Amino acid sequence: MKLSPYLAFAKKSFLSRSAYRFDHFMGILNTLLRIFIFWGIYLALYNGKSEVDGVTMTMVTTNFILSMGLSTVFCVNDFYLPNRIQNGSIANEMLLPVSIHGRMLADNLGNALFQLVFHFIPAVVISVLVIGIHAPASFAMFALFLLSAIFGYGVLWTISFALQMLAFWLINVWSIMTIKNVFINVLSGSMIPLWFMPDWMKGVLTFTPFSSIYFTPVQIYLGQLSVSEIIKGFGIQLLWILLFVILGKVLWRQGQKKLVVQGG
Amino acid sequence: MAKNDTLHLVGVYTKTIMRSWFQYKVDAVLRSLAVFLRESTGIIVIWFTLLKFDTLNGWNIQEMLFLFSLLFLTYGILIVFFTGLRDFGKTVRSGGFDRFILRPRGLLFQLIFSDADWFAAIGHGGLGVVLFIISAGNVGITWNFGTILYYVFTVIGGVLIQGAIFLFLATLNIYLLETNSLKELFYWNARRFAGYPISIFHKAIQFCMIYIVPFAFVNYFPAQFLLRKDDMAAYPEIFMYLTPTVGIVLYLLAYAFWKFSIRYYKSSGN
Repeated sequence: MKLSPYLAFAKKSFLSRSAYRFDHFMGILNTLLRIFIFWGIYLALYNGKSEVDGVTMTMVTTNFILSMGLSTVFCVNDFYLPNRIQNGSIANEMLLPVSIHGRMLADNLGNALFQLVFHFIPAVVISVLVIGIHAPASFAMFALFLLSAIFGYGVLWTISFALQMLAFWLINVWSIMTIKNVFINVLSGSMIPLWFMPDWMKGVLTFTPFSSIYFTPVQIYLGQLSVSEIIKGFGIQLLWILLFVILGKVLWRQGQKKLVVQGG
Repeated sequence: MAKNDTLHLVGVYTKTIMRSWFQYKVDAVLRSLAVFLRESTGIIVIWFTLLKFDTLNGWNIQEMLFLFSLLFLTYGILIVFFTGLRDFGKTVRSGGFDRFILRPRGLLFQLIFSDADWFAAIGHGGLGVVLFIISAGNVGITWNFGTILYYVFTVIGGVLIQGAIFLFLATLNIYLLETNSLKELFYWNARRFAGYPISIFHKAIQFCMIYIVPFAFVNYFPAQFLLRKDDMAAYPEIFMYLTPTVGIVLYLLAYAFWKFSIRYYKSSGN
């Protein structure tokens, strides 16, 4: 498989993002405000206490900065396939000598790279200057954090990938994607650090992919996981990725049989 | 043209809107549910958070739900009337506004009654009602004639405040073609803060919430009148009585701005 067409797709989506400057600054402001809101809430909740259940205020703010920061990079276009299925252009794309799934990934990665450079970095730098952040536990842990964050993106991307296939059967997947995002927002740790979830919820979460997205990388960054726990964390992330890719591919095969595009 | 068929026209508009929004029934139910859940996100999060921490600056979960309920209830009512203003930018850019001008009716009348985002209305309004039912009996409010009247005026005032912001931002479309980012900045970002007692935030943010985009009058100060939490001590007591006044004054100002600006409207089409 040649990589160069995919690089071209990624580059195209990267460049197309630089067209809307004002919107982009508003986006950064949004991210900062979200971080500041939760900072304000937790300042009031901690009310001067140095720690709650062994979790310090700095760990909480680090969780918010990193997970909300990462969520700006982890923006997946949930409607890449649904839009193409609905307007019929998928028929032409399937005839092209490049894999449509590869193209979809390249498109999202180009966007993610743009977000990393022009959204994540400024937002995190400003947050760190204003709020402060826990230093990474060690250089090795920081490297493992980066790796785990990439796998976290993989989990998030493959969940969307599998769900997008539902567009073969449903006219409108907007509702499903919105509900999916509610689950991710509540259960991934980006709005409530998972340390503070009740025990029964922590039990439920071990059977879901959500904590693999942001919380595993954050825990590695903070040095909270032992070597065996880190290996287990990576294993779980890869397992979810594999599961959703298989699910998506099965649905894709079924959906293709069903696909009828009108017009010529 | 006789004015007494205005009500009839509103009826025709409403029937058409309902038909177009609820054309696909399953989809309509799913969409309303999705909006309901999406808007619940912040509430579910604060519910889990307060399972751990009990109170946020003295506010327990029931009181927080009551605070949220005012925000969602007013938006649910607002969007029935102000969808046309929310989407005004789109209408101007597509040239659709030119059609409005040619019709023998007030422009604002047409904008207000010719569209209503019912999924948002049901999602937000329904959530507001659910939160109100859960919390209203558990936050120590004595519901008598006085408090009910206060509540009704508060809801009307809250709708007018947000309606004024929508109208103001819609009017800006006459001067600028693209105002989505401004709407995001002034409306949605301010609203993000409004779910929480504003006393927990930095002074600068409190200032914005009171004097610039006065969301504090939509839910925080009215809730304070009914709940009397300790953090009200930081603000003048009169703020608890101002919601309807702020609503009417802001709306009249926005309306004057609209009246003044509409004369300068230039079509984007050709």
